[in-house]
Amino acid sequence: MVNPLEKLSEEIDELLKGFESTAMHGDLYGAGVTQYTFWMFVAVILMLVVVFVFKKKQRSHGLVPKGRFVNGIEFLVEYCRDDMCKGLLGDSWRRHFPFIASLFFFILFNNLVGVIPGCKPGTGCIGTTAAVALVSFIYFIVMGVKAKGPIGYIKSLAPAGVSFPMNALVWCIELLSTFLRLVTLAVRLFCNLFAGHVVMGAFAILASLFFIPLLQGFSVQALGMAGASVFWLAILLVIYAVEIMVAAIQAYVFTLLTAVYVQLAEAEEH
Amino acid sequence: MGVIGYGLGVVGAGLGIGLAALGATSSMARQPEMEGRLFTVFILASAFVEALALIGFVVTLIA
Repeated sequence: MVNPLEKLSEEIDELLKGFESTAMHGDLYGAGVTQYTFWMFVAVILMLVVVFVFKKKQRSHGLVPKGRFVNGIEFLVEYCRDDMCKGLLGDSWRRHFPFIASLFFFILFNNLVGVIPGCKPGTGCIGTTAAVALVSFIYFIVMGVKAKGPIGYIKSLAPAGVSFPMNALVWCIELLSTFLRLVTLAVRLFCNLFAGHVVMGAFAILASLFFIPLLQGFSVQALGMAGASVFWLAILLVIYAVEIMVAAIQAYVFTLLTAVYVQLAEAEEH
Repeated sequence: MGVIGYGLGVVGAGLGIGLAALGATSSMARQPEMEGRLFTVFILASAFVEALALIGFVVTLIA
């Protein structure tokens, strides 16, 4: 009887290799399409289809939303509008709502597509999340510059009311933390998706490894291992449910943080 | 060794999220009308803490 755990580290290595970006078309260092880019396009097309179908259905029914689909999408949009935009940004929410909402839906659809077995999340590779984080980084800096002017924005990094020598130190720290926002936004989303998928994959591998002995020949020990396999499968299902929740929460966190940063950049001196 | 390091790192993140949940639940019990706002703040705070644990997870796999 071989111990199924012996093959585990080998299988995990193979799983991790599967998560590396590989070129589906073209090459990795020039113009090419990796599997993540491909699934990102799928998610974007899905998102556009959903949004346009929603718009069409909503128009044909008049003002009162009908049916699960229209109500569900409307709930998401309203959540985005009331909770993130109105709650955090105050009076200027109308200007930022389109950006915030498109960010939310882009990340949400990417994450949800990744949860479907066999698909990959577009946000599961650091390149995509870094690009999205860069967009929101540039957005909140531009908004800060628009609200206060270039010099005003640079000055406003340090809080008013701090005397001269401390002022410079606080300004340097704030500058560093502004650039760290870019890194943490990108790394948080990527790590959550990547780690979640590795954990799901690891439990799927465990379930299959423990089931193999039963297929090779019937014995009491093999039956016991198959029982353990069912247990791993149950854990896998629980983690799968958690992953669906994480997909929504991470989209929410990313957009909420962007809204917070925009609000901080636009805030008046106090 | 990397796995032990990740375990050590997760202790801090676990404590952090636990403390955040403790604060959120007890303040929701005291003031149920603030629940929505508190939930947002709780999710935000745990996202900050969780990011550290996840960085540890990925560094463990890479190193």
